[in-house]
Amino acid sequence: MAADVQKKKGWEVQNGSLAPLDSLQLERSESPTPSMMQGSEPGAGQEGTMFVHTRSYEDLTTDEGPVSMGLKKGDGDQIESDMEQISKDFSELSTKLTGIPMDMEEELRENDSDQQEKPRRDSVLSSGKNDEDVTTDSWRRHKKQVFVLSEAGKPVYSRYGSEEALSSTMGVMMALVSFLEAEKNAIKSIHADGYKVVFMRRSPLVLVAVARTRQSEQEIAQELLYIYYQILSLLTWTQLNHIFQQKQNYDLRRLLAGSERITDNLLDLMAQDPSFLMGAVRCLPLAASVRDAVNASLQQAKAKNLVFSILISKNQLVALLRKKDQFLHPVDLHLLFNLISSSTSFREGEAWTPICLPKFNASGFFHAHISYLAQETDLCLLLVSTNREDFFTVSECKQKFLDRMRRRGSYQTLQEALRTPFYSVSQVGIPELRHFIYKSKSSRLFTRLCLPSPKIEAPYVTKEEKERLLGLYQYLHSRTHNSSRSLKTIYYTGTNENLLAWVTGAFELYMCYSPLGTKASAVSSISKLMKWIRREEDRLFILTSLTY
Amino acid sequence: MSGQRVDVKVVMLGKEFVGKTSLVERYVHHRFLLGPYQNTIGAAFVAKAINVEGRVVTLGIWDTAGSERYEAMSRIYYRGAKAAIVCYDITDSSSFQRVKFWVKELQSCEQHCRIYLCGTKLDLLENDRSKRQLDFHDVRDYAEEIKGRHYETSSKTGQNVDELFQKVAEDYVHFTPFQVMTEENGVDLSQKKETYFSCCHH
Repeated sequence: MAADVQKKKGWEVQNGSLAPLDSLQLERSESPTPSMMQGSEPGAGQEGTMFVHTRSYEDLTTDEGPVSMGLKKGDGDQIESDMEQISKDFSELSTKLTGIPMDMEEELRENDSDQQEKPRRDSVLSSGKNDEDVTTDSWRRHKKQVFVLSEAGKPVYSRYGSEEALSSTMGVMMALVSFLEAEKNAIKSIHADGYKVVFMRRSPLVLVAVARTRQSEQEIAQELLYIYYQILSLLTWTQLNHIFQQKQNYDLRRLLAGSERITDNLLDLMAQDPSFLMGAVRCLPLAASVRDAVNASLQQAKAKNLVFSILISKNQLVALLRKKDQFLHPVDLHLLFNLISSSTSFREGEAWTPICLPKFNASGFFHAHISYLAQETDLCLLLVSTNREDFFTVSECKQKFLDRMRRRGSYQTLQEALRTPFYSVSQVGIPELRHFIYKSKSSRLFTRLCLPSPKIEAPYVTKEEKERLLGLYQYLHSRTHNSSRSLKTIYYTGTNENLLAWVTGAFELYMCYSPLGTKASAVSSISKLMKWIRREEDRLFILTSLTY
Repeated sequence: MSGQRVDVKVVMLGKEFVGKTSLVERYVHHRFLLGPYQNTIGAAFVAKAINVEGRVVTLGIWDTAGSERYEAMSRIYYRGAKAAIVCYDITDSSSFQRVKFWVKELQSCEQHCRIYLCGTKLDLLENDRSKRQLDFHDVRDYAEEIKGRHYETSSKTGQNVDELFQKVAEDYVHFTPFQVMTEENGVDLSQKKETYFSCCHH
């Protein structure tokens, strides 16, 4: 009995308000109750989970180790004059968010001319948007700016505009951070004029976001953490620290050259894909029999050093196999999703690349074999090995997998399943429902369905619409995950849609209705939707976590 | 390796953006992709069979990333290579610095690897000869000095691309003694258990 297993494993019950253990509630109930135990909600794994168990903002609540700034005590005068300078810098920075004072503008222009003389080392490589002039209004109008700098104040990454042109701005940012640290304080954010400036300190790097989105400070900080992990996934924590120990003012862009696209893509993806907000992985809906066939073929194609075999399609998980006792963290999988979606280079041949999965182990590299199953498909297979000499062994595994899939006709079935979505509005049976996100907390999986309605053709498909909808979900998420006053249920009435959020110890549900629906009908439709999810759970989720 | 036997391990080396991937694309898929630059992540492997004097030779081409980030582990890609195509951009003199670096590296670590210097983007000179920053004869002299070969190619037009790879295969057939290839087909890959970069402690 699944429930017994879960009890023995001591599933973490996060919420004190959950009802005490009761055998009735432990069963996989048809309809939802707020007191539903974690592990019994729809989408919960039946025999344990495939992901590391995580909490929202887990990294934000655990403090980093002590920070040493190399600022000696007793430098009283120094600090005082620093303070003058910094308060001046501070006022410049805040003006810069709305308009640039003259001298600053000149300074920036100077930098610009510098840039013309010495073209950017990799100017031919930049994607075009890096050439954006940082003195223009359009640069300032970006919704979210992200900057990464080293503790020496050297630019590492900027989302818009070239890093050189922004070096003085980044210097000011570093000054702010170090000034407060000298007093054993830490700057977390500045809220001014509709902007949130969020600081994230992960020695030897400092990450800063300047946003005018509806996100909470925590949500923005979480995104900065993702950027940090993205950098780690390319370099490892060990290498990153080693470099800066050797040379404090190292220009990290040398090592990150060519990775700007990956970071840019991550930021774009986070603005559209709810995976990052949910801290969970989206499964590709698939009939259980098809998924079983994929799993069986993956299980056949194993090798000694393989740790994870992951089949994905457009940032959705199709199947995941893992080595016994090794668990993947959703953040690591998100980074892999992003890596693959940010480059078309994987379509050419078989890629073999070192990759660090920072949440699994930030100190070393895995080696990943990445290849699409065919030229014209979105199915991409990742085979993660511990041995960098393993390319041909792992490449053989891929071939074995593909051969078996083809022999048994599973490949054809899978391709067809990808072409035909199995759900329809009538199946769910809630005509006002346009879109929903349902996340099972115990399995770290979520499903998201966009239901085409007869009145509005395909809502939330354009980039703008996706971002707008995610913005609304972000707002609901921030209200339900606020550390001081978190809400359990929210009904939000907007001009274009009504939304409902319901967060319990076991699951999170966010529903988006047509604006013409009523609150009563929305509330009454919840149990209908939950019953549907329960009925379809073996398609919507991966319920069993398989090992080799 | 999926039924294919790789006869010649070929590694593509050179600074980022000189066009290593484009060269492989042109040779293997006979196409030139326009659109934004995509840097290679890690390395990509592709096998191609080629006919040399009635004999089929399979080239296993490793297209490596030019980024410095991967330099520390580039050895796994060029170890045991029979041929290295070291690329530079004829319109960018700085790209030749990396050529010298790679040649030195190969000479000290892989004495049996033949070196092919390849100047890319020849088509850029069509309308504007002044774009050339690396003199043909200078590079040719350097190639002779290191006992390597020298080509100038255009992946856009396909000029000299097939010739280059054909030469790689021919040299293999002509100069490799009839002995068992001990380093072929990943044998060397599975013999050494290097744990330096692996991170699973179990």
